[in-house]
Amino acid sequence: MNSFRFLAISLAFITSISAALADPGQSVVRINSTIQSYSPSQPWEKTNPRKRRGLGALLSGNQVLTTAKMAADSIYLELESADSTQTIPAKVIAVDYDANLALLAPSGEAGFLTSLQATKVGPINKQGDTLQVIQLEDRGTTQITDGEIRSLELLSTFVSGRYFLSYVMKTSIQTEGNSYTLPVFKGAELAGVLTSYNSKEQTCDIISSDIIRSFLDDAKDGSYEGFPSLGAGYSTTEDPNFRAWLKIPDDQGGLYINRVLKGGSAEASGIKKDDVLLSIAKHDINRRGYYDHVDYGPLFWTHLVRGAHRVGQVVPCQVLRNGKIIELQLTLKKSAERLVETHLYDQAPPFLIKGGLVFQELSQPYLKAFGNEWSSRAPLNLLEVYNNPDAYEERRRRVVVLTRVIPTEATIGYERVSSQIIKTVNGKSIAGLPELEKALAQTPANGLHEIDTDDSPYRIYLDQILADRVDQQFKAGGLPSLSRSYPVE
Amino acid sequence: MQNLFFTLLISSITVSAQFLEPQATEETYSIYDSVVRIEVATQTPDYLTPWNTGRFGGGIGTGFLIGPNQFLTNAHVVSDARRVLITQRGSSQKHPARVVHIAHDCDLALLEVIDFSPFENLPHLNFGGMPKLESEVSAIGYPVGGDRLSVTRGVVSRIDFRPYSHSRADSHLVIQIDAAINPGNSGGPVVQDGKVVGVAFQGLTQADNTGYIIPMPVVSRFLKDIKDGSYDHYCDIGLATFPLFNPAMRTAFNLAPGDRGVLVSSVIPGTQCDGIVKRGDILVSIDGYDIDSAGNIKVGGEFVDMNEVVERKFTGDPVKLIHLRDGKEISSEVTLKNFDASRIYAMKYEVQPRFTVYAGLVFQPLDFNLFASYKFKDISVRRLYDEYVSEGGFLEHEDIVILTRVESDQLTGFMTGFAGMVVKELNGEKVKTLKQLHDGLRAENAPEFHTITFVGGSRPLVLPSAKAREAHQRIMKQVGISSEAQLD
Repeated sequence: MNSFRFLAISLAFITSISAALADPGQSVVRINSTIQSYSPSQPWEKTNPRKRRGLGALLSGNQVLTTAKMAADSIYLELESADSTQTIPAKVIAVDYDANLALLAPSGEAGFLTSLQATKVGPINKQGDTLQVIQLEDRGTTQITDGEIRSLELLSTFVSGRYFLSYVMKTSIQTEGNSYTLPVFKGAELAGVLTSYNSKEQTCDIISSDIIRSFLDDAKDGSYEGFPSLGAGYSTTEDPNFRAWLKIPDDQGGLYINRVLKGGSAEASGIKKDDVLLSIAKHDINRRGYYDHVDYGPLFWTHLVRGAHRVGQVVPCQVLRNGKIIELQLTLKKSAERLVETHLYDQAPPFLIKGGLVFQELSQPYLKAFGNEWSSRAPLNLLEVYNNPDAYEERRRRVVVLTRVIPTEATIGYERVSSQIIKTVNGKSIAGLPELEKALAQTPANGLHEIDTDDSPYRIYLDQILADRVDQQFKAGGLPSLSRSYPVE
Repeated sequence: MQNLFFTLLISSITVSAQFLEPQATEETYSIYDSVVRIEVATQTPDYLTPWNTGRFGGGIGTGFLIGPNQFLTNAHVVSDARRVLITQRGSSQKHPARVVHIAHDCDLALLEVIDFSPFENLPHLNFGGMPKLESEVSAIGYPVGGDRLSVTRGVVSRIDFRPYSHSRADSHLVIQIDAAINPGNSGGPVVQDGKVVGVAFQGLTQADNTGYIIPMPVVSRFLKDIKDGSYDHYCDIGLATFPLFNPAMRTAFNLAPGDRGVLVSSVIPGTQCDGIVKRGDILVSIDGYDIDSAGNIKVGGEFVDMNEVVERKFTGDPVKLIHLRDGKEISSEVTLKNFDASRIYAMKYEVQPRFTVYAGLVFQPLDFNLFASYKFKDISVRRLYDEYVSEGGFLEHEDIVILTRVESDQLTGFMTGFAGMVVKELNGEKVKTLKQLHDGLRAENAPEFHTITFVGGSRPLVLPSAKAREAHQRIMKQVGISSEAQLD
């Protein structure tokens, strides 16, 4: 361990004299991942497994850094030597789907990793800096492509809508192993992780060293927490009419808070709807939502929360309320549980089949299964929940949907029923799938389950004995399981 | 191609000119002579720029004489007509005509010519009944492919309940025939044994030999409806039903296997059944016809949807219902009402689009025409449209007012993002009609800032009233908006 650190330091020293002496290829491994997710419409089964290949950077302690995309939904991970002669199985130590970062380690012996050189995350990088994209050729040799950071931007590279500080680099890189998950170095030190390459524009997106450092610091103690979130909806304040109405002075910027999420940082810190957020951590936010970063220039304000600070930190903020400036202390928290989950990576989606009725919890992946045009194609009542969750939050943790009806003797006449939101079952309100499971496990008074929904016929009756018999037939017919639930406290 | 068509056109005119003279002296007429060519010039409003004149266009159709100065044709032949001309068979003289009655929901219209004297000696076509399956019929008309009368022949392939595409919102009885029906045939008679059994009106583009004709029950209903001098719409019972096939469902409602009746799954608010029939009732009979568990009845040996009873009735007619509630039988009688709210889903013709413009903001009420022009994607717009009738949205807001356009100006520069959203409130008050918004924006005692909120909007639109008043005329002039509002 000690010798490693010594080596790294000396390497860094040499780099500062001449970059040519460092060989970052010595800190790069191949990663092979087999990915398999659950079928969105038939959650009792998995889809066809797919392979994903990428490169990772070896850090101290035999840990390998790569993107969350490589690790999400993986059923088998292995690390492979540059020359493709040796492989060792690997496991995930920490993963952040939002930031698109994952830390891997060998499942057992470190194998060929011991013959490599661990690297470390370098200092900050600025616009105009030249970085090296590392690729491995088929025969195992390192290929280095220089590129210049053209701009620093907040990009979402995996989970949509989660923006993190990234570099946009101008360079032309060749296809090597059909993968654009690549480590980026500055000399012998890790500068970022490349997540995608646009061959037409010849630009690539790279997760910044700032975000990687926060991720690694968080993962150090073995329990990964994640990045904080403000927990509020906002709109910008460029419109002079809107500004005059909000009484924002001309020399101020600010973001109009249109919604405060339950259980989020903003709510806990006293930020209210109709406030204008003027500054966070003493950084003034302009009318378009940008602030001036001392090193990087104008950055979008979200970096002040999700990037520059950590969960648990308290930062000052200012809001304009009824024309008066109010100082608040913002205690940063992780984003609260959402009614409609944004992703279900590495989670087995809960479901329940009863007599042929299929129930699932509404999630964004379920909606996305309606195709590229999902935001107009998916059932209107479900899109409405996604767009306006506040209206459905009462007495619900999740929205349980009768997604489809499998024709059985218990579901005769219900063939056209689909995508209905469940309100109550046997008189009990349904906060999530466990509650549904519980409600359907009870013997109803007259032997009929009563399922109340949001659409015609509004109440579905299911013969308990018949439904149980159909369930047995499903099991005998090879359905691996009739339900998957989770514990509720 | 263009050239060939042109040549053909000229030569065919010369041919007909040669034959004109001898025919004019002939005194015996066949029913063919009572089938006329209708030439229409149209003006269709543009919902994207509602203040403009719209598009000028035109088309050809067929009509036929059914009484003294009464020509029957399709509504779609004469929709949005600015000028209607009728030409007799074997004549080149065009007689100005006008629309007397037009029924867009069943695609029928009645025309008259200004001077009937040239038509006086022509026979009136008589009506027959429902033709039998596989029996032969002839379609007469003036379809594309020539200028003169055309007759095609086929058999009755199917009698069904199908959508009428003209209004986009109505379904009635149709007869499908395998005779070729082409553009121009529209409005022409389909005859069997010398009697009219239907009016040709639509085809199917993705299939061969499927022509649809409007059968006599629909034609007769139209002619009966207009007897009082005006056309009322078809009525709707205002109930949605769900089949009672499921054994558990039947047990829940205490129904024996052979028991009749269909479940009422919802009652449309504001219709004649509201307050009389309830969700969860079981409808067992309509006007004495037994309803089966799928909502069908048997009329004259034909198995049809129970709505067929209402189809044949008129506004003001009674309908007798027997329904079960908690096992008890209830006999009710409802009087059919016109239900205008449901016309939001029907294509409108011959009306000027409603709108109001203020300070570069264009507001329009949502209806089928607007939807067709703008193809709104906003979920809130789609949901409010969807629930306007079924959830009684029309009771809360007569109009679903949408900010459709934001015209460019220094005042409106940062407002373009609001286009396509539904207006919720103006200055804290719910916007229920276009007129209310129109008046509110122009109010003398307006607040310093008008605030307009939108359904699902991320912030209010703020319009400083003094600046807006000043910008209003300027923007109207800049954009060339000739009129600032059409409120009814």
